[in-house]
Amino acid sequence: MNNFIPAKFRPVLFLLLLYAGLIVLPHFLKYHQQDFLIFLTINILVVVSYRLVTLTGEWSLIHAVMMGVGAYTSALISKNFDISFWITLPLAGVMAGLVALLLSYPLFRMTQFYFLIGSFAAGEAIRLSWIQFIKPFGGTGGTSAIPSPELMNIDFLEPIPYFYLVLIVVSICVYLLYRIENSRIGLTLHAVHWKGVLAESVGVNTWNYRTLAFVIGSLFVGIAGALKVHYIGTVAPKQFDIGFMVFILIWVIVGGYRTFYGAIIGAVVLSVLDEILRGVEQLRPAIYGATLIFFILYLPGGLESLPQKIKQKFRANRESAT
Amino acid sequence: MSKYETNDSRRKFLKQVAAGATTATAASIIPSRAFSANKQLTVGMNIPMTGDLAPWGLPGYYGCEIIARNINAAGGVTIGGETYDINIATYDHGYETDKAVQGMKKLVLEDDAKMVMMLGGATVAAVLPWATRKKVLTTTLLPSDITPDSNYLVATCESHPLYNATGVEWLARNYPEAKTAVIVTNNDVEYGLQSTALYQAAFEVAGIEVVDTNLHGFDVTDFAPIVSSVLDKDPDIFCMATSFYVTPIMEQLYHQGFDGKIISCTLDFYHEIIAKTSVDFVNGTIFQFPDFDDPALADVNFPDPGGFDAAFRADHPNDWSAVAWEYPVILLNWIENAQAAGSVESEAVTAQMTGSEQNFVFGGGSWWGSQLWGLDNVLVGRWPVVVVEDGRARIQEYGDLAAWLDANNDVLIKHMKALGLRTV
Repeated sequence: MNNFIPAKFRPVLFLLLLYAGLIVLPHFLKYHQQDFLIFLTINILVVVSYRLVTLTGEWSLIHAVMMGVGAYTSALISKNFDISFWITLPLAGVMAGLVALLLSYPLFRMTQFYFLIGSFAAGEAIRLSWIQFIKPFGGTGGTSAIPSPELMNIDFLEPIPYFYLVLIVVSICVYLLYRIENSRIGLTLHAVHWKGVLAESVGVNTWNYRTLAFVIGSLFVGIAGALKVHYIGTVAPKQFDIGFMVFILIWVIVGGYRTFYGAIIGAVVLSVLDEILRGVEQLRPAIYGATLIFFILYLPGGLESLPQKIKQKFRANRESAT
Repeated sequence: MSKYETNDSRRKFLKQVAAGATTATAASIIPSRAFSANKQLTVGMNIPMTGDLAPWGLPGYYGCEIIARNINAAGGVTIGGETYDINIATYDHGYETDKAVQGMKKLVLEDDAKMVMMLGGATVAAVLPWATRKKVLTTTLLPSDITPDSNYLVATCESHPLYNATGVEWLARNYPEAKTAVIVTNNDVEYGLQSTALYQAAFEVAGIEVVDTNLHGFDVTDFAPIVSSVLDKDPDIFCMATSFYVTPIMEQLYHQGFDGKIISCTLDFYHEIIAKTSVDFVNGTIFQFPDFDDPALADVNFPDPGGFDAAFRADHPNDWSAVAWEYPVILLNWIENAQAAGSVESEAVTAQMTGSEQNFVFGGGSWWGSQLWGLDNVLVGRWPVVVVEDGRARIQEYGDLAAWLDANNDVLIKHMKALGLRTV
C-alpha cells in the first residue's frame, strides 16, 4: 500500500483515518466508556503540554496544579459571575499562564532536582490555599454546580456532544503545541536542554526560554482543566493532587518523551489498561505497578521505542538467517 | 397502605431476611443465583474500594453482600407482584470525581441499577447534575451533599455529623464535672469542618466551653505536637470530631498521659487502638457506631444484627468499620420502600420514601434538612451513644436526634457559618 501513496500524503491520510475513527468511536462505546473517552482526550492535552515543559530538560511536579488553576478560574468565574464557558475557557489558560509566569521567577533560580522539589512545593502551596480558603474555593469539597457550555440547543451534559467539543479544542491545542515544538522556538528549547551552555554562548537567553516553555505548557493545561470541570460540574483540590501528577509522569515516561507522540501513547495505553483492570479492584494497583516495572526494566525508551526495537529484531533475525 | 400495614409487612420482610441468613449459612458454598428462577434486581454501589477512603466503602459492600445473600436464600424479595433476587453491582471510584461520574453511568445505564449508594462528598457533587436530571435515586452518608435541587439524593442512614450531638448530650449528663473541651480534627469541608461545627454547637448547648480547636491538614504524620499543644489548655474533654487519624491521636493521648474524657464520631478498628495502648485507656471512650453483636440492638429495625455481625466477621475478620452496617441499612430501607411503592423505579420509590413515615434503623424517623441544606431529604431518628467497656463497644442509650435538632438548629447554623460551611 505504501508504494501507492506518496510519502507526503501518508500523514494526512493517517490523520483523516484517525479523525474518522474518533468521530464514529463514541457511538460504539458503552455510556461510561464515552465518559472515559472524554477524560482520556483531555489527558492527552495534559501530557502533550507537560512534554513541552520537559523539552528544556526541567521536569516539574506542578503541572497538575496548573491544570487546577485553569479549572478553578473557569469554574469560579462562570459560576459566580454567570460568564459563558466560551469566555472562561481561554481565561483559564491565560490565568494558568500568568501564574506560571509569576512562579517562574523563584522557580527558575533552581535547576534539575532542586527545580523538581521547588515546583512541588509551589504547587502544594497553591493546592493547599484551595483547601484553606473555603471562600471562594470551597475547601476540600471544592465547588460544585459548575455550568455546562451553552451553544445553540446542544446538550453538553451528554457525553457525545461534549466529546466532540473536547476533540475540537484538544486537537487545536495539540496542533499548536506541535507547531511550537517544530518551530525555531521548539528547536531552541531542545538546544537549551541538550546544549545549554553552547546555546547561551551564542546569545540564547536560556532563562527566558525555560520560562516560555513553562508558561505555554501551563496555559494549555489550564485549558484542559477547564474542559474537565465543565463536564464533571465540580472542582476539588484532590483532582489535582500529587497522585494525579504521578500519573502524568508515568504516562510520559512509559510512553516515551523523545517524540511528540510518545506521551500520547503512554496516556492512552495506561489509561486503557487501568480501565481493563476494573473488576479486579483489589489487584489493580499491584498489576499496574508490575506493568510499570516491566516497562522500566525492559523498555526504558518507552512505548515509542517499541517499533524501532521490533524492526531491529526483525533485521537481526533476517541477517542471521542469511 | 396504612402505617400498620406498612409496619406489618416490614416486620414480615425483616423476619424473612433473618430466616434467610440461616439458609444462606447452610448453603453459602452454592451461589443461590445459580439455580434461582427469580429476576435480578440490581442495586449499585459507587464507592471507594481502593485508596485512602476504601475503609469507608469496601466494608459496606461486604455488608450488602451478606444481606443480598440472605434475601436470595430466603427466596428473594417480592415487589409489585414480581419476585427478585438482589444483585449488588459495584464501581470503585477511588474517591476520584471523574471516575465517580463514569461509575454512576455504568451502574445505571449498563448494569440497570435501580438505586445507587455512595459515600458522599465531592464524588456525590460530581454525579449529582446527571443523576438529578436522570432522576436516579442516590444515597449519601453525608447530608451536607444535599442541595435545594437534589430531589433524588437522600441520606437514609447516616446523618453525618448531626448524630454526634447525642454523644455530647450523654457526656454532659453523665459527667457534669467536665466543663472544658478541645477539638482536633482534619480540616476538610466534607467531614472535619462539618463535624467541628456540630461539636461546637453541641458543647455550647451543653454548657461546655471549647478552649481550643486544632484543624490540621491531611499531610500531618506526627500528632505529638498537635496533641501536646491542645493538652496545654488542660481540657476535661478531648474531642476528635471526625478525624481520619483516630488511631495515631489516641496513641498520642495515651503516651502523653491524658486522663480526661475522650469523645469521637468514629472509633473504627478500636481493637487495634487497644492493642497499641491499653484496655484501661480506651475504656470510657465515647463514640457513635455500635458493633452489631451489642445486646442493646435487639429491637432495632435490622434483621438479626448479631447474626449479621458474626457473618461479617467470619468472612472479613479485620474489615468491620462504621459503614459495614450502614449501606445494608440503606439497602433494606430502599427495598421496604420499593415494596410499599410496588415498583423498583426511582421516581416511584423516591416519592414513596420522602412522602411517607419511615422507620429509622434505630427507631423514630423523620425527614429533616431544609433548615440547613434546603431540602428535607435527611432521615433522622434515634441514634446510639456507644462507650467502650471492658474493651468492647457497648450502647449506653439512644439519643433523640430529631428533638435536639429542632431545639438547637440556630446554634448549629451559627457555628457552620463561622466555619464558612454552606447553609441555606
